[in-house]
Amino acid sequence: MTERASPRLTSERLITGRGGLARRQAALLRLSTAIAAAHDEAAIYRSVVTGLHDEALGYNFIGVFVVDEATGDRVLKASVGWPDVPVDWRVPFGKGLSARVLEDGKLHYTADVTRASEYLPSLNSGSEVDVPLRVDDATIGVLVVESSEPNAFGTEDFEILTAAANQGSIAIGRIRLLTAERRRADEHKALLDTMQDLVGELELSRVLQAVLERAVSLLGVTGGEVAIYDEDRRELVVVASENIGKNSTGTRLALGEGAMGAVAETLEPLIIPSYHEWLGQSGKYADVTVHAVMAAPLLIGRRLVGAIATVHSDPNRVFGPEDLRLVNLFAPQAAIAIENARLFTSERQRAEEQRALLATMTDLSSELELPKALQAVLERAVTLLGVTGGEVAIFDDATQELEVVASEHIGKDSTGTRLKMGEGAMGVVAQTLEPLIIPSYHEWLGQSEKYADLLVHSVMAAPLLIGGRLVGAIATVHSDPDRIFGSEDLRLLNLFAPQAAIAIENARLYTAARQQREYFETLVENSPVAIVTLDREERIVSCNPAFERLFGYTKQEAVNSNLDALITTEATRSEAKEYTREALDHPVHGIGRRSRKDGSLVDVEVLGVPVIVDGKRVGLMGLYYDITELLRARQAAEDANSAKSQFLASMSHELRTPLNAIIGYSEMVQEEVEDLGHDQLSDDLQKIHTAGKHLLSLINNVLDLSKIEAGKMDVYAEPFEIGVMLDEVTATARPLIDTNHNDLVVRAPSDLGSMHTDLTKVRQILLNLLSNASKFTERGTITLEVSRKAPLTEDGPQLVSFEVSDTGIGMSPEQMDHLFEAFSQAEASTTSKYGGTGLGLAITKKFCQMMGGDIQVESASGRGSTFTIRLPAEVAPAPAGSISD
Amino acid sequence: MAKILLVEDNEMNRDMLSRRLIRKGYEVAMAVDGREGVDMARSGDYDIVLMDMSLPEIDGWEATRRLKQAAETKALPIIALTAHAMAGDRDKALEAGCDDYDTKPIDLQRLLGKIEALLGQST
Repeated sequence: MTERASPRLTSERLITGRGGLARRQAALLRLSTAIAAAHDEAAIYRSVVTGLHDEALGYNFIGVFVVDEATGDRVLKASVGWPDVPVDWRVPFGKGLSARVLEDGKLHYTADVTRASEYLPSLNSGSEVDVPLRVDDATIGVLVVESSEPNAFGTEDFEILTAAANQGSIAIGRIRLLTAERRRADEHKALLDTMQDLVGELELSRVLQAVLERAVSLLGVTGGEVAIYDEDRRELVVVASENIGKNSTGTRLALGEGAMGAVAETLEPLIIPSYHEWLGQSGKYADVTVHAVMAAPLLIGRRLVGAIATVHSDPNRVFGPEDLRLVNLFAPQAAIAIENARLFTSERQRAEEQRALLATMTDLSSELELPKALQAVLERAVTLLGVTGGEVAIFDDATQELEVVASEHIGKDSTGTRLKMGEGAMGVVAQTLEPLIIPSYHEWLGQSEKYADLLVHSVMAAPLLIGGRLVGAIATVHSDPDRIFGSEDLRLLNLFAPQAAIAIENARLYTAARQQREYFETLVENSPVAIVTLDREERIVSCNPAFERLFGYTKQEAVNSNLDALITTEATRSEAKEYTREALDHPVHGIGRRSRKDGSLVDVEVLGVPVIVDGKRVGLMGLYYDITELLRARQAAEDANSAKSQFLASMSHELRTPLNAIIGYSEMVQEEVEDLGHDQLSDDLQKIHTAGKHLLSLINNVLDLSKIEAGKMDVYAEPFEIGVMLDEVTATARPLIDTNHNDLVVRAPSDLGSMHTDLTKVRQILLNLLSNASKFTERGTITLEVSRKAPLTEDGPQLVSFEVSDTGIGMSPEQMDHLFEAFSQAEASTTSKYGGTGLGLAITKKFCQMMGGDIQVESASGRGSTFTIRLPAEVAPAPAGSISD
Repeated sequence: MAKILLVEDNEMNRDMLSRRLIRKGYEVAMAVDGREGVDMARSGDYDIVLMDMSLPEIDGWEATRRLKQAAETKALPIIALTAHAMAGDRDKALEAGCDDYDTKPIDLQRLLGKIEALLGQST
């Protein structure tokens, strides 16, 4: 198995940082989509509560209260995390933390509810945020979010909760408006239905038939026809026919076709003395025996609404100016009847369309593709308002400009037009945040030159707002000079404005999320680390260019392949599969060897992390970093270091063999000489012996240090009595202490008991410290104090403390800085005066660490030094090579 | 007085240690390599062996293993003497069958303590 380090260091931080923001944004997007799709108030409350109760947001206690207008009570409409509180639970007026929100309509944060004068009984401690739900400047309810922890909320929470409350408020306002509107539309239709029954004569064909009959009788003609003009198809349709030789009702005539078509085109009356000789006759009347014809257009002002024709079948009768005068009396009657009927019909149609529209409108705001959504909103607004066309623009915060994104029948495609604040109708409403009606656009002083070429008569515009914040503007236009905008139109436009606003806001959130995604995609694309993502079946979903370069497979080759089949060999497959399996669950990190497409092997650092979307594990991401060079460098360094250690070990061995002889013979000869009573020789031999011992201790220190550095120094734990060990150590140290005429004081309680650790090292440490103390103290006192100490942490080991203090020369803070570094005595000059290698304390510190303890020093120049060692009474052996400063 | 077999290839060490042991009253026999050491231990009548570990012919580890495997020398105490103080030497010596272990240069008092301890056990 390959070595594995803890994966926590880099991977988790990375994932949290990215996942957090993106997931919170996704949660907010879901929340606003759910709110926008809600069709009644209850659904909105549920959407707010469930939307906020999202793992990514981390809110667990949420409630929405609505104010009962009659009593002022807050009534719970939806909640999460309050199992004991029923829906419709009432909080009396003025009670509870959220009452303050009703007083000033502002967000309130209580960092510690137990310190507040009044708090909800559902919670005993913790913190609470209360956010107002505001519709039309009135606080209609409160969003309450609690935590069982004090100080659980911050600025970001306030922003999230305010955004959620605003979205909910807008939606509630919209639903309330919609409900009122629907009721009004129902009433309106009922009224029209009743009217229709009462004034049945209004029905167009009957009116026209009556007009025609009276005209025929008055003019003394054989018969006649009346047709109405269909604006959409630019055709005449015969709706009344009297005695012309056939029933022509339903006949359609193009402009210019037949007598009525001719007058509809010229808008002038026409007399045809001999129809059969007339060149303009229509084939549709070929079978009719008509002699003379008189036709006239039916006009409202100069606008064509239909045509009337009368005929003589008697060849002796002709039409004269008197007939023309008479027909001119009837024509306006017929025209007014047609116009009334048309208005009535369109009014009824408008009511019906309005109902249909209101029913489907709420779907619109969930559409995320902004121009499409806004175009849909605009089209419906144009239809409902019966206007010629309109525009929708979104507000760009960065440039403080409006940009037209949807345009419908305003005479040109204005999409992409940018308007400054105050420029044109939409610019003005964006600035004032109030709707605006311009009865005559061409006389209006505020018009933008960008719209100078349009034939627009009147304009109605409104700002698009989310919680008072400008997100865009909408405008509708009439090109018909007879149409103007009234308060009813404004009311209807106000139905659409929140829809468009929500669509823009949703799209903005969506765009932000998409940009975030693109940002990370760019990072992945340009990463020097090979990155690959897998689905749950361990098939490659995507890989970046670094992956292609590292392993030699193109993206096309890699996608849909099994990763481990692609880049492992027989030898590494089971290990790689284990990584993959684990990484589906939790981050893994290690070093391994993988194969390239050409079969060559590459050493890689592998990081595998699960990919979690919406709380579900959908696959994993693998990161591979080529460490061939790193490994090569490490190997070279290890080889060099190993050579150094080997050299030191053999050198010290080679040095010690002759030294053995020097020390041994001098000691032996000294014993013999003493027996013989040659005292002078004995002193000289003692000097040889002492110098030899010193040289040996230097060599031993160098060897110890090289062993520690090579990771070859082990800890041999054995049980021993602390008291016995102290007796041995003080006995050994006694000659050193006596050298400078010092006193040794040992303070050790009799019940110290035993330790289980490396006796040799403890002994060496204490001897070293006592030796140092003796060296730097003259005619003073050296104290060794030993005691048991409580563990530093609850589950830490029992400690034994050894304190060696002296009354010697001490050290300055500067001298203490490098005290435990190898080859550093406080000053170079001390070496010559006091001897020593400068290795003793470095080794002492390493030994302490190896046994799980540490060493500290307190000192001041001229005031002596105190070295304190704390060692676990029972050693938990540290693995070789893990010691560091 | 106890009879010591000293197996040591370095002449100075051998001379010095044997003379100091004799001065302390022990009877000392000497072998200069591992093979001679094993042969002498088998044929002679010794109370304890001081075994250097880096020896020609067969080294101290192997010589110790052979002595400890043979029934007649199995109970003979052996103290390993080594100049190496590298990690693992102590375990290696005890694993090979040595009864105790000491590092060179010899601290005579310490070595005498170890010798007496083993002789005390065996009698």
